[in-house]
Amino acid sequence: MIKFENVGKVYPNGFEGLKHVNLTIEQGEFVAIIGLSGAGKSTLIRTINRMHDVTSGKLTVDDVDVMSLSGKTLRRFRRKIGMIFQSFNLITRTTVIKNVLTAFVPDMPWYRSAFGIYTRDEKIKALECLDKVGILDKAFVRADQLSGGQQQRVALARTLAQNPQIILADEPVAALDPVTANQVMGDFKRINEDMNISILINIHHIDLALKYATRVIGIREGEIVFDGPASEATQDVLDTIYNGKVDRDGNIQE
Amino acid sequence: MNLTFYDRIFKPREYVLPNGKKAYKKASRAPVYIILILAMSALSVKITGFDMKILVSRIGQFFVILGEMFPPKTSYMPTVWNPLFDTIKMSLLGSVVGAILSVPFAMLSSTNVCPNKIVVSVMRVMFSLIRTLPTIVIALVATLIFGLGTLAGTVAIAVFSFGYIGKLTYEEIETVDMGAFEAMQAMGATRAQAFISAIIPQVLPFYLSNCLFNFEGNVRYAAVLGYVGAGGIGLILNEKISWREYPSVGMILIALFVTVFIIESVSRYLRKKLV
Repeated sequence: MIKFENVGKVYPNGFEGLKHVNLTIEQGEFVAIIGLSGAGKSTLIRTINRMHDVTSGKLTVDDVDVMSLSGKTLRRFRRKIGMIFQSFNLITRTTVIKNVLTAFVPDMPWYRSAFGIYTRDEKIKALECLDKVGILDKAFVRADQLSGGQQQRVALARTLAQNPQIILADEPVAALDPVTANQVMGDFKRINEDMNISILINIHHIDLALKYATRVIGIREGEIVFDGPASEATQDVLDTIYNGKVDRDGNIQE
Repeated sequence: MNLTFYDRIFKPREYVLPNGKKAYKKASRAPVYIILILAMSALSVKITGFDMKILVSRIGQFFVILGEMFPPKTSYMPTVWNPLFDTIKMSLLGSVVGAILSVPFAMLSSTNVCPNKIVVSVMRVMFSLIRTLPTIVIALVATLIFGLGTLAGTVAIAVFSFGYIGKLTYEEIETVDMGAFEAMQAMGATRAQAFISAIIPQVLPFYLSNCLFNFEGNVRYAAVLGYVGAGGIGLILNEKISWREYPSVGMILIALFVTVFIIESVSRYLRKKLV
């Protein structure tokens, strides 16, 4: 369970990224976070695994106060939270399976990762994760030879290898074409339902957000302006979130 | 449009579109730079006392000496082998030691890997200082510490390689895509683990290529180090030139030329494969 209690975030330059955020996200929810660029979507998601610090209020994940963690306890905490990025963040010069295997690096002695020594067991686990996202046949191909959608699936497999309880996805489909974006969102949905992993997605495609997520959070200028099931995200709600510029299909209003 | 003093003298070129809109291309600054370079060259000639007349009247002597080197004294070759191998050993060992030692320091010089700005600046100043010292000066100091011979030469080359590879490596590390590093950190990896898994694979081919290029160059530098007693082929080269035994000098130069040529060709081939 992720719990924000009156959380605020002020950047060193004085910009308020988050204002009085109160949220409770139960294990196994599929949450889409929508809002304009710069509204605080990334900030919100990145505070959960402490890639960003919060400056006021209290943020707990499974009753652990995130701001109390540091060093080793923080790294152990991050092991159970997966993260997916807009630009995939793979090691492009190396093979797909090696990318997935990096998920085991934090628990390994350094010389094994330095010389790329992985056990048979680890390799089988990595291959299983690739199978779950349907790209087992690409396991020994160099990551930079894959298409964008395939690369995002490698990133998803890498996250699954970590065996996370939560997956944070920061605009995972923004760099993908509409067809591939739908497929990747489908992958997220399947993982969410089959493995009961909580999923939080930042997304600009409103149609995809409403289609796949069970809960939608709208954020504007650092404040939560909507929080409810996708079916309740009416045109009025979208008008509030986007200052009245888009409709439910993601089209621009003139 | 913002016009500087220069633009007021040399008017920008104006393009007018059929619809009446205009675009301006500012006049080139190149003439200013050309005049500056010419003026500085003229000044250098005056300061260094460069005299065209001496150059023209004495240039012939160069070819006289070159002519005396032919035919090279082939019977001298057996004496060349040992110092030649010394030179290669010095440059190989020095290049490897310097290149390996430079890696941890290059990491500490990269702003994206080392979060401490003071450490970064200290490391960079150290690299600059080391690169300022000419290799021949390092060799001279090394002969005073370690005595005459190849050890001094090896140390000199290691120090040079350390500075050279270190600088190229930290510049390479800084241009790396940090996405994978961020992903590793988000998964709970330490900075060191993230560096090993996410940055080394990106930097390694360039690092190895730089090491080879450095080694190529070092074979040539190492040939001179004998002049200050740091061992290798420079020792006999210096000796034969001062005794004016030009046919032997010719033999040494040919041996050196062939060696450098072979090493450069192999290195170039390997570097092409790497990057």
